[in-house]
Amino acid sequence: MQEYKVAIIGGGIVGACLFSDLTRKGVSCVLLEAASDVSNGSTKANSGIVHAGYDPEPNTLKARFNIRGNQLYPAMCARLKVDILQCGTLVVTDEENRNGLNELYERGLENGVQGLRIIEREELHTMEPNLAEHISCGLFAPTGAVISPYLTCIALCEEGVINGGEVKLNFMVDKIEKNEEKYQIFAGKDSVLAEYVVNCAGVGANTINALVGAPEVPMKYVKGEYLLLDKSQNGFVNRPIFPLPTKMGKGILALPTLHGNIMLGPTAIPCEPHDTATTEAGIATIKEKVELSVKTPNYKKVIKLFAGVRVISGDDFVIEKMEDSHFFYTAGICSPGLTAAPAISEYLVEKLQEDGLEFEPHEFVQRKPYVCTEKMNKKELKELIKNNPTYGKIVCRCEKISEGEILEALASPLKPTDVDAIKRRVRPTMGRCQGGFCLPKVLKIIATYHGITLDDVQLNGENSQILIKE
Amino acid sequence: MNKTEVLIIGGGPCGLAAAVGAAKTGAHVVVLERDERLGGILTQCIHNGFGLHLFNEELTGPEYAERWKEKVAEFSNITTITGAFCTSIERAGDKWVVTASSSGGLIEVEARSVILALGCRERPAGSIFLNGERPAGVFSAGCAQKLINIEGKKVGNRAVILGSGDIGLIMARRLICEGSEVVGIYEIMPQSGGLARNITQCVQDFGIPLHLNTTITRVVGKKRVEGVFIAPVDEKLRPKYELEKFIPCDTLLLSVGLQPENEIAKNLGLEFNNITNSYVVDEYYQTSEAGLFCAGNVLHVNDLVDNVSAEGERAGECAGLYAKNKLKYAKKIEITHDDHIKYTAPKYIYDDKNGTAKISFRVNKNYKRTIIRALSAGKEISKRPSPAVTAGEMQTLFIDKTKILNDLHLEIEVME
Repeated sequence: MQEYKVAIIGGGIVGACLFSDLTRKGVSCVLLEAASDVSNGSTKANSGIVHAGYDPEPNTLKARFNIRGNQLYPAMCARLKVDILQCGTLVVTDEENRNGLNELYERGLENGVQGLRIIEREELHTMEPNLAEHISCGLFAPTGAVISPYLTCIALCEEGVINGGEVKLNFMVDKIEKNEEKYQIFAGKDSVLAEYVVNCAGVGANTINALVGAPEVPMKYVKGEYLLLDKSQNGFVNRPIFPLPTKMGKGILALPTLHGNIMLGPTAIPCEPHDTATTEAGIATIKEKVELSVKTPNYKKVIKLFAGVRVISGDDFVIEKMEDSHFFYTAGICSPGLTAAPAISEYLVEKLQEDGLEFEPHEFVQRKPYVCTEKMNKKELKELIKNNPTYGKIVCRCEKISEGEILEALASPLKPTDVDAIKRRVRPTMGRCQGGFCLPKVLKIIATYHGITLDDVQLNGENSQILIKE
Repeated sequence: MNKTEVLIIGGGPCGLAAAVGAAKTGAHVVVLERDERLGGILTQCIHNGFGLHLFNEELTGPEYAERWKEKVAEFSNITTITGAFCTSIERAGDKWVVTASSSGGLIEVEARSVILALGCRERPAGSIFLNGERPAGVFSAGCAQKLINIEGKKVGNRAVILGSGDIGLIMARRLICEGSEVVGIYEIMPQSGGLARNITQCVQDFGIPLHLNTTITRVVGKKRVEGVFIAPVDEKLRPKYELEKFIPCDTLLLSVGLQPENEIAKNLGLEFNNITNSYVVDEYYQTSEAGLFCAGNVLHVNDLVDNVSAEGERAGECAGLYAKNKLKYAKKIEITHDDHIKYTAPKYIYDDKNGTAKISFRVNKNYKRTIIRALSAGKEISKRPSPAVTAGEMQTLFIDKTKILNDLHLEIEVME
């Protein structure tokens, strides 16, 4: 049986940050993920914003970890060699609600957000030509940024693996036994041993807590629906545009994604734990509310609807250790959870150390980023294709992704097998045709690489075959 | 850098015909095709019905493509390059430079004329705001067609089809032939967007239910499609949710429209038409940039491949003449039309009092009896009584240009 110092349950952004932090400190560590890929829950379906930190109530974990996480992101992205768009964020409103904006500004100062500035109409509309006419003032937070949440999460896990950690996919934890000083964590017949367990299971946090008798955390599940617009709409907004937040949340925003699409959303609708279905009502809400901040987007250019579920546990994050144990749990890591994740991890590392975990620093191995032929200049590209002709063979016409890039993703440290896992890494089927053209080609490349037949290839996890086996 | 007179992007039914048209002018022609073989989408269209107008025969897609490949092979001044994906078109003085990616390296070609012949793509689920979950088993009809016809695979056991465009109708029949069940075709509009012959031959002859004024409200299934909810729609196309009904199925095919695949030229500032979602052309199929031509489905989505090739061949001829500085211009006239007509292609003709101009257009809905008229200087210069015109079928009018005086207006008198 494989034995580790620390087992992390859940391969979302929190688990991934902790996995990366611990492995870099030389801790023997396993990340257990129930799905066929990491970043398959709330992490893959959220706005991808590194929040500045003006929003959370002062003196909460949310405020503290938001600010700290925001500080950690730029260096973390540089280390991981993943992109971060340092575009800042804007909260906008009309004259009537200027007081609300001022309050937000004050809260930001209290939380310690750097560089906050109230911007007036003329400058605002120059920065963002597609703001709604009634918008007269805005709060600009230059430290706000945009990342790809799934790619960042994947990169963290990859970094963990090349630095000695292990990721076990399709490992649905269903039993945890405490034997002497160790936990035996089961997924069916498979199991691993670990001295410390950290529950980062997101939507499944209570299920895991129940397995060790840790307290049940009050949880509300809230669905966030999004519309994704084609890259031709790039420039509709240049940075995330928020309406003035309300008690209900941050509202419907319009933002550029890291890859140049425009995204609108999210809604905030109470739901069942795994309900990621988009709804007519939700989409109508997005269309109505987005115009609180911006002009009417070009809905003819919508290419995808999607939704994610976030977990809310009261007013703050829950990050606890079960008494008389080496079991830690996190829950309710809703917004600004993505931003806070590196700081939550930093905090957990401290707590683990206080609990007796020892570090054995080793030489750090840096992760290699995926090649992106679209971003290369002609000279670089010529050289690349000369050395490896598969980089010249374009498979995904919308995102201009070559066979070489897909093969590279297949050979990457987590050994992804599903179409969606490849999509999250190098983007085939992510573009304006949504795989209408490239899906058959991608299936073939995956099948050939793994030596399986086309009808064995899954879309996203077990029982999601794309073709019918005959 | 390679040099040529005419460069054609796309080796499908438009691009191959364009190559022939251009080669006939004596121009040197290069065709860049992104796929490993020529023929474009025709290679996966194994049903027949192609070529009735151009070859007077009912050919299958691959046979039709073969006809054009044979014609292309007759010309020593045509070079075809497959596996070459164009990544950019740039202006270079009075020429164009096109860059393409291939496993042999980057290909750069300088040409006097460039023809966009890139065809079109299918609209995805998101573009029609299809709600619900996002499981495996949702395919665009053309994608399913490729998986079945080229890869020899089965896409589903029990399918529902949303939208009744031609590919959807053809795939309904194809699924039945491959042993799948087709529960029904659901069309939000009061009429099918497909050709009458496809409704008869693919749907009625196979007893497949076609439900008009009905749409899918949401997709159900965590991993693989488990079913869809359908509902009739009101006159504003809004679903009547109180009449929602669950239809179990494991596969959903979407045939919800096609869009020109013209993004490669989007940064060139070409005059654009929001109805066709593509560039505007004159009667030479030339865009607002001299030397850049656009024809076939990348210009406007056609229903007949014969028309695509006819446009391509004409565009090729004009591009060849342009490259040789022999394309003649006269006073440019903008074709205007009434509201029954959605757009015309071309949008401009030249008042050279010479020959005929072929004008294609689509109407906004189905009409049982109409008279289509062309007017110039307020006088009727052409008239075509039509028993019926449908939104799904492209209309064509030939205008005798000797009768044109300064303007050209198309109108439709609705009799019934």
